[in-house]
Amino acid sequence: MGLMGDDETGDVWQAPISRRNLLKRGGAVAGLAGVGAFLAACSGSSATPAPSQAAAATAAASAAGVASVAPSAAPTQEVPSEGPMGNILNFANWPAYIDVATSGPDNGKSPTLLEFTKATGVKVNYQEKIDDNNTFVATIRDQMKAGLDTGWDLMVLTDWMAARLISLGWISRINQANVPNCQANLVDSMRNLPWDPGNDYHYPWQMGMTGVGYSKKSVAAAGMQPLTKIADLWNGKLAGHVTFLTEMRDTFGLGALKLGIDPVTITLDQVNQIVNDMQPLVSQGLRFTGNSYLQDFANGKVWAAMVWSGDLASSGSADDVFIFPDEGVMVWSDNMLIPRGAQHQRAAEAMMNWVYQPNIAAQIEDFVYYVCPVKGADAEIKKLDPPAASNPLIFPTPAIVAKQHAFKTLSQDEDTAFNNAFNTLMGS
Amino acid sequence: MNRTRHSMRRMLAPYVLLAPGLLWLIVFFVLPTIQMFLYSVSTGSVDFGYRLTWSFDAFTIIPKQFSRQFANSLIYGTLATIITFLISYPLAYFIAFRGGRYKNLVLFLVIAPFFTSFLIRTISWQIILGNNGPVIGLMHAVDIFRAVPENFTFMGEPVAVVSGLVYNFLPFMTLPLYVALERIDIRLIEAAQDLYAGPWRPRGWLYGAVGGAILGGFIGFGIDWDIPIFALVGAVLGTIILGVFVSESFLRVTFPLSLPGVFAGSLLTFIPALGDYVNATLLGSPKTQMIGNVIQARFLESNDYPIASALSIVLMVGIIVAVMLYARMLGTEDLSGGAML
Repeated sequence: MGLMGDDETGDVWQAPISRRNLLKRGGAVAGLAGVGAFLAACSGSSATPAPSQAAAATAAASAAGVASVAPSAAPTQEVPSEGPMGNILNFANWPAYIDVATSGPDNGKSPTLLEFTKATGVKVNYQEKIDDNNTFVATIRDQMKAGLDTGWDLMVLTDWMAARLISLGWISRINQANVPNCQANLVDSMRNLPWDPGNDYHYPWQMGMTGVGYSKKSVAAAGMQPLTKIADLWNGKLAGHVTFLTEMRDTFGLGALKLGIDPVTITLDQVNQIVNDMQPLVSQGLRFTGNSYLQDFANGKVWAAMVWSGDLASSGSADDVFIFPDEGVMVWSDNMLIPRGAQHQRAAEAMMNWVYQPNIAAQIEDFVYYVCPVKGADAEIKKLDPPAASNPLIFPTPAIVAKQHAFKTLSQDEDTAFNNAFNTLMGS
Repeated sequence: MNRTRHSMRRMLAPYVLLAPGLLWLIVFFVLPTIQMFLYSVSTGSVDFGYRLTWSFDAFTIIPKQFSRQFANSLIYGTLATIITFLISYPLAYFIAFRGGRYKNLVLFLVIAPFFTSFLIRTISWQIILGNNGPVIGLMHAVDIFRAVPENFTFMGEPVAVVSGLVYNFLPFMTLPLYVALERIDIRLIEAAQDLYAGPWRPRGWLYGAVGGAILGGFIGFGIDWDIPIFALVGAVLGTIILGVFVSESFLRVTFPLSLPGVFAGSLLTFIPALGDYVNATLLGSPKTQMIGNVIQARFLESNDYPIASALSIVLMVGIIVAVMLYARMLGTEDLSGGAML
């Protein structure tokens, strides 16, 4: 046993129940219900909760049992971050997730980051390194576990992964004194999430939806009507030119909606049903990707796919469109986190604070076409780009909000079983 | 007294000399292997830690759940080895015996692709074999009878994965073969010719036809295409090659003397090809996943260390057994003979 390393089996195993409960209570579900509420608020229908939001809230409540619980495993010591700003910030993010100038002397660079450097003197080493939550976390897991420098000062991960890392105690506590903008401008619906009620460890970067994207030209060439449903991806005419996502919650979520299953209460039996439904596509050459579907759309390899809401609008051609399928869309949030052991925590906090200025948030939003967590960005975006203010990708309409679904918060056992089923589907 | 110390030193010397290598092996091979075995019989999760429970569940589910990926690995690995051999042997033969003053240049060309990243080389095959790429474009251009279906594709099919493997491992076959052939004393071949070693027909035709048909059929089976057509093409090519080009002196002198190179080259190709996951990731699809993909996904994506470790152990044991059988079959005592570059 000696080689197994006692630290791995140590304190965590002595209190597995409280952690499991924490995860259950923590409920990314409740967090997602929050997204729904925010989106509803954005579109001016905050009075009547959307059905999916109600369902999510109910599920969260039933899973919770206890209303709110502070993350028990969170590190207790406050990481001092008053110190000097340093001169560099190592920032890991997903592709197509920040504004990029398309002309002028800064062509190809991000105005938001350049202005940040000008204002603070901190250079940003911005890398589009995250294509999949699990794959990215696998590259830094051991360092985070040991509290060592991961090479990143700021990273953006999806709600369920953020909740898990926070509960493991692998995320640095944010010094709130350094992020007044975040405190002031975070939309109300994203506050008091059960997995980090005081925003001690995270602030949302973007929120978004998972639906169907397709190339109008390729689909027409295949002799099909414009797509409207998730089920259209199963059409034989598209065989071999469809990709699904390597994010299990997205692919199983849309698979569930297609079969009329509510993803927020999904069971292993239902997962197996979804797998059986998708298996024939795999035999026809279906592939699973992360953001790289953008390249596949660009070179015509893929005609239709499960995609994230903003990507094709920001980085696809005019021919590539995102649709909100009839069966529904999945909603989620991606969150800024400072990994334990980060060398430039102060600079990371400065960045959080920077992007929570409404005008900066509007500038990012106008490029990435995701849903913004910053209060006042809607007013700013009207000044910047009036049509964007009525873009349903950024400001979903009540009809779209009604279609939004969240994925269940999984227990450790469910997580293992679902992932196993998903990997088997992916041929590995 | 002095003498004992002297003999002590003599006794210890080999161990002292061995120590650095031995230590390296223990730290980077033996310990990780033991650790991997312990993981394979543990339960738990990567975030919350593992407990050693001596549960062999991970091993018992392997035949049920992963036999297809093992089969894929075995078939693609074998195919890659056979095809690299078929390409490399004439190439190495040419360089060794006919290379002349261009010998070094041609050898350099064989390893030139290694100056580029492995990933870049593999990704470039996405373009070569892609739907808008030159190969399919040419096929459609010369296809006057419209025999190639409109949605014909290489990517995601076994043929793409095998092509990638063949390309990436070609030098590992060519170089040992070259070394083995280059060492052959040309006077032995001349002696054989003096002793009336002539062309190998008519038996060569027969062997060529039968062997070619079997090999072609296996390649067709492996890449999941038309088996009879491949068998037919194999038979024709085999007849021509063995019937026309192969002489008795090659059969009785050159080829046996190059066996150490064949052995080393095929091991250097087969073992890494069997565990490779990059080619299947970049050029394949879920249905062409190899066991390396499963191990990679279980280790890094679903963080299921017990299953990943169990799979690695099964693969390792499988390779050891296969190599031992192969060594016995080929009867090569000098295991590393051709590998000494």
